[in-house]
Amino acid sequence: MSFLNKENKEALVEVKNLKTYFYTEEGVVKAVDGVDYEIYPGETLGIVGESGCGKSVTSLSIMRLVESPPGRIEAGEINFKGTDLTKLSEKEMRKIRGNDISMIFQEPMTSLNPVYTVGDQIVEAIMLHKGVKRKEARRQAIEMLQKVGIPLPEQRVDEYPHQLSGGMRQRVMIAMALSCDPQLLIADEPTTALDVTIQAQILELMNSLKESYGMAIMMITHDLGVIAEVSDRVAVMYAGKVVEYTDVDTLFDDPKHPYTWGLMNSIPKLDKDVDRLEAIPGSVPSPLNFPEGCKFNTRCPLAEGKCYDVEPPLEDTDGGHMVRCWRYEHLEEIKKRGERIYEDRGVQK
Amino acid sequence: MKWKEVLTRLLKNKLSLFGLIIILFFVLVAVFAPYLAPPRSPEDAYEIPRAGWQVEPQPPREGYPFGTAQGSYDIFYGMVWGTRTAFRIGVIVVGFSSLLGITIGTLSAYYGGKIDEFFMRITDVFMSIPFLVAAMVLTTILGKGLDNVMIALVTFGWMGTARLMRSQVLEIKNEEFIQASIALGASDPRIIFKHIIANCIFPVLIQAFMRMGSMVITASALSFLGVGAPEGYADWGQMITFARDWILGGQGSALKYWYTVVIPGAAIMLFSLSWNLIGDAFRDILDPKLN
Amino acid sequence: MRKESYELVNYIIRRFLILPFILFGVTVLVFSMIMMLGPYQRLSTYINDPAQLKGQDMDKLISKYGLDDPWYEQYGRWIGGVVKGDFGWSESAGQPVTTAIFSRFPATLELALFAVIPVVMGGIWLGVLSAVHHNQKFDHIIRIISTIGWSFPTFVFGLLVLMIFYGVLGWFPPGRLGADAAAIVRSTEFIRYTGLNVLDGILNLEFNVVFDAFRHLIGPIVTLSIVWWSYILRITRSSMLETLRKDYIRTARAKGVAEKFVINKHARRNALIPVVTVAGPMVLGLLGGVVIVESVFGYRGIGQYAAQAAQQLDYSGILGVAMYFSFLLILINLIVDVSYAVIDPRIRLE
Repeated sequence: MSFLNKENKEALVEVKNLKTYFYTEEGVVKAVDGVDYEIYPGETLGIVGESGCGKSVTSLSIMRLVESPPGRIEAGEINFKGTDLTKLSEKEMRKIRGNDISMIFQEPMTSLNPVYTVGDQIVEAIMLHKGVKRKEARRQAIEMLQKVGIPLPEQRVDEYPHQLSGGMRQRVMIAMALSCDPQLLIADEPTTALDVTIQAQILELMNSLKESYGMAIMMITHDLGVIAEVSDRVAVMYAGKVVEYTDVDTLFDDPKHPYTWGLMNSIPKLDKDVDRLEAIPGSVPSPLNFPEGCKFNTRCPLAEGKCYDVEPPLEDTDGGHMVRCWRYEHLEEIKKRGERIYEDRGVQK
Repeated sequence: MKWKEVLTRLLKNKLSLFGLIIILFFVLVAVFAPYLAPPRSPEDAYEIPRAGWQVEPQPPREGYPFGTAQGSYDIFYGMVWGTRTAFRIGVIVVGFSSLLGITIGTLSAYYGGKIDEFFMRITDVFMSIPFLVAAMVLTTILGKGLDNVMIALVTFGWMGTARLMRSQVLEIKNEEFIQASIALGASDPRIIFKHIIANCIFPVLIQAFMRMGSMVITASALSFLGVGAPEGYADWGQMITFARDWILGGQGSALKYWYTVVIPGAAIMLFSLSWNLIGDAFRDILDPKLN
Repeated sequence: MRKESYELVNYIIRRFLILPFILFGVTVLVFSMIMMLGPYQRLSTYINDPAQLKGQDMDKLISKYGLDDPWYEQYGRWIGGVVKGDFGWSESAGQPVTTAIFSRFPATLELALFAVIPVVMGGIWLGVLSAVHHNQKFDHIIRIISTIGWSFPTFVFGLLVLMIFYGVLGWFPPGRLGADAAAIVRSTEFIRYTGLNVLDGILNLEFNVVFDAFRHLIGPIVTLSIVWWSYILRITRSSMLETLRKDYIRTARAKGVAEKFVINKHARRNALIPVVTVAGPMVLGLLGGVVIVESVFGYRGIGQYAAQAAQQLDYSGILGVAMYFSFLLILINLIVDVSYAVIDPRIRLE
């Protein structure tokens, strides 16, 4: 699946048929059920989907941070520079976390330890992976704080998290994540909890750091605007599976999956003049109760026959644009005719 | 939080089920006391009948299934009617002290400012005297006896509830006011009040369950020390009062008089344990739901 | 770094300033209870020596000691005595109250000190372990033991300990010292450094005394600590469980921190915050428990004195103990508040 690999690079991370299940009292939750994607060095892969589609769990699986019990990586491979992460021991995994692969999370308000200074927490990461002494680590920490745009870093480094604003804390998180030069940064909804203006700043920061560090980013979000802003390629997830997978421009110009189409057309756009927005009816089915066949069939206006019996495979439609749908050609025709597929749900202009 | 759901989960939890069964057992004993241990007359129901004039405790035997304590008091009788005493103490003390605590805590949090400061300082002052010692001071001054013990326990037992209620109300206060004043325009104090109580009541309830046990323990400790129920009164703690001398002074094996300690002691412990188990289970049920 | 300590010192000073108000409040509370007594009963709280009362009739006494004066004047007089350390005369002890209390202070101190150790160390350590092994067998066993321990009436437990370990086995006798050890302690060669038998025994190199003192202490220590050990354990456990669910724990793991450090460095300090909060109520409970334990074990400390005084309606005695314990409690609460601020930097801004 190495499309768009113009420079024919080796994938940094290759996720193959990943299955992560949760064994709960009420039954088995197949949070991630056979997911494939790649992340190439220096690029940003966007993972987009609604809450509960499994996007966070895939990233936690890569980091092997899935709570186990009740979760478990049931099957699949996660190849990081040739090594299968699912097969590593906990000790070996710890060398990778925060070091080769870093992760930042959604809630900056609660993601930092309130009883230690901001500096201490960054220093911890540095001393852990780089083996330098405290004085040197502190110097590097201050440098990192500067790089992420925090003013007066020599002062801030001794402050406690509660003394910083949400945006600042997220910058600290980024500083901490990048302190050891990771090759991949996983960002799980990093801007969702922030104000819109701060959001833009953080995304810009991430982009520029990506350049200077030459690292790859896995951006997980439900927000299409963020996807458009930072991604090179995108994987759309639904009910534990990837349903569409292509580069970002193609995704926005030519979405082939009815779900993606619904997502695109439920947000107002400046360059399109529509009387009404389309909205996907219904909601994501409960993971304990997935339907037979295509998981989207409960909400898809194009579903018929086969869609209810057999799960469609991920198909290459042309030149690397992957779609998981039996009816995507039908959707193409509808698009050509300029029609809508979703009913209006009262969202007026 | 539907009550039915809470009840079902309480019953499913093995530990709380155990607690509920024991409480039920005690309730039955209390209710059927007149049949289990018929009193000589209704007025003397709480006076333990004596089997004779022997000073030394006698082990369980025909007619006296739990034996007799110092002074030949029938332990079985004392245990049965002592159950009523225990419930009486628990309900009255926890009831009144909770009422007092809820009132003070709510008023304090609701009005805030100087009123809050005032009530909180008073709470601090009352909490500065160790509970048992404070109760002992009051019983010394007011006189011995269970009624005075209950007064003492209520007087010094409301602070925990007050603080808890206050912190609960403080949490709710901001949300409710904002919501109510925006959505309703004129905010009806009665609705807000009902809302506040409804949301704050669970932790206070849990605390009340725990206190049922701890208050009965404290009351029986006071009786044990000789400051509570008078000699011969049907109270679990009172029956243990003289046990110590026999354990230390008696000839031969100290275990000889085990029934004077173990039987009433087990009752006190089981009573407290069952309330604690229910309170614990209650807390576990409500906690994950809230998070 | 300097900014940190400035905030801390500021906080400590602020807490110190509230002290006098609370102390005042306590004296008012105690005094109002005194005023519930009749004039003759109140006398015992004012005078130092019953000989002074000989041969005087009620009216003379009332006017002499101002027992009918307005309450604020009486309060002033009483407080004047209290500040000088004069709590009146104790009928039950046959001594001035202050003497009675201070002569018994070392015994109670020794008991309390020894009891705190298993409570704090054992309770916290097991609480953390229990939370880490959540829902496994170890956790279940610990939970059951601690729930039972928390529900056990102290005096019943004490009696059982006495019954089994003294009555049957003869290991842990009541009282403070056996006859032989007591003789050694009373002798002139034995120097009383602290009043604590174990410590003094060590300092005097009289290991018989140490052993004997310890033998007498175990029963009371175990009895006193069982309830509070259970309490601390439960609080630590639930606090730890909640802390382990927090986001910053996930962040620590994502950084590659070893699980051992995640628990001991990141989680524990946060989990202990609510535990420190209950240190105050715990000391309060310990001071009450001391009364019961000393009574059960015939241990000659302040607690036993308090029980005696209450039984014999020795007003000045019991009131003296109440005052004394309150001062102690207020002081300890202050220390707890300060430790709280040291552990949790967020508090310092309040």
